Amino acid sequence: MDKKTIIYLSVWAIVLSGFWLLLSGFLKPLLLAFGLISVTLVLILLHRMDNTDTEQQKLALNLSFLRYIVWLLGQVVSSSLSVTRLVWGNKKELRPAIGKLPIDKIPQKSRVLYANSITLTPGTLSIDIDDKYVTIHALNDESIESLKHGDMVDKVYDEYKGAQ
Amino acid sequence: MILETLSIIFLVLGAFFSITGAIGLFRFPDFFTRVHAASITDSIATLLIIIGLILRTDFGLIAVKLLFILIFLLLTSPTASHALAKSARHGGLLTMAETRDDKNKEAH
Amino acid sequence: MLILAATCIAILSVMILALARALKADTVYDRILGVNMFGTKTVLFIAVIGFFSGRPDFLDIAIVYALINFIGMIAVLRFFEYTAAEEQEDDTAKEDRTS
Repeated sequence: MDKKTIIYLSVWAIVLSGFWLLLSGFLKPLLLAFGLISVTLVLILLHRMDNTDTEQQKLALNLSFLRYIVWLLGQVVSSSLSVTRLVWGNKKELRPAIGKLPIDKIPQKSRVLYANSITLTPGTLSIDIDDKYVTIHALNDESIESLKHGDMVDKVYDEYKGAQ
Repeated sequence: MILETLSIIFLVLGAFFSITGAIGLFRFPDFFTRVHAASITDSIATLLIIIGLILRTDFGLIAVKLLFILIFLLLTSPTASHALAKSARHGGLLTMAETRDDKNKEAH
Repeated sequence: MLILAATCIAILSVMILALARALKADTVYDRILGVNMFGTKTVLFIAVIGFFSGRPDFLDIAIVYALINFIGMIAVLRFFEYTAAEEQEDDTAKEDRTS
């Protein structure tokens, strides 16, 4: 076991223990021992799985990712307001459209983040994803246009570069 | 006192957005548009209601648990919507724009 | 306190609307959409009612419900995706045989 794996496993140990404490909230010795046993069991499983897993996806929690989350929450609020207007407003304003966005420039790792961000913002929904395109369904044509020229791709890309 | 007022505002807004989503579930014309209506309740209503509840705690273990529920729901709801839309599309359900195109083709 | 009761009632009515949508739906996907919305609202409802009754321990139940709801959704969707695909294959196979 080299140094990198040990650091990696100890980060997981801290995260898992924190999570266990969050869910249980008890500090009795017996229960803490049970927690310790389950954390070690998960770590052993994790180590064994990492040995067989050839394509690992490690998500980095860093500043640029947090910035991206804050920006995304802002997007969620603003697009929710527009969908709310559509719900209460005139039905004729509803012009559902479907479009394809190229994703071959986005690195493999960030594609899930991109498609999930599209779905999380109300008004746009990713229907299908393959190697080259992600198919988008939107409540009006403008949202597809704004995704095509918009800065979500750039933000996802920035986040990826920040994680490197 | 300020926290209480803020919490009331967040909870009222959250309830309003939930009801908006439920109304949209009935008002929108086809399946794919209804997914959008449901996604309002999944994203912004969840966010507002949980923030409103966090403001009522003493920011201890309970607040962390609420935060965990929020993160979990925000992670899984787009995944579920995507899986739903994908299986609907693979099951052969057409969107409104496409059915319109089909009718135009038949007319020509 | 009053506001928590009001939020409970609002979420309950949303849950009823989602169930009504699931009951009177045209396609199976609409039903799943309604049930999914019912599930996520149930998580919120459990959380709010825990605060309303002054027992925030209910949050553990909400967490478990959120986990089960997500896994159940994915399982049901997998089932329908594959049965739909198989039925289509069966249909094309029959057509091939008849032609």
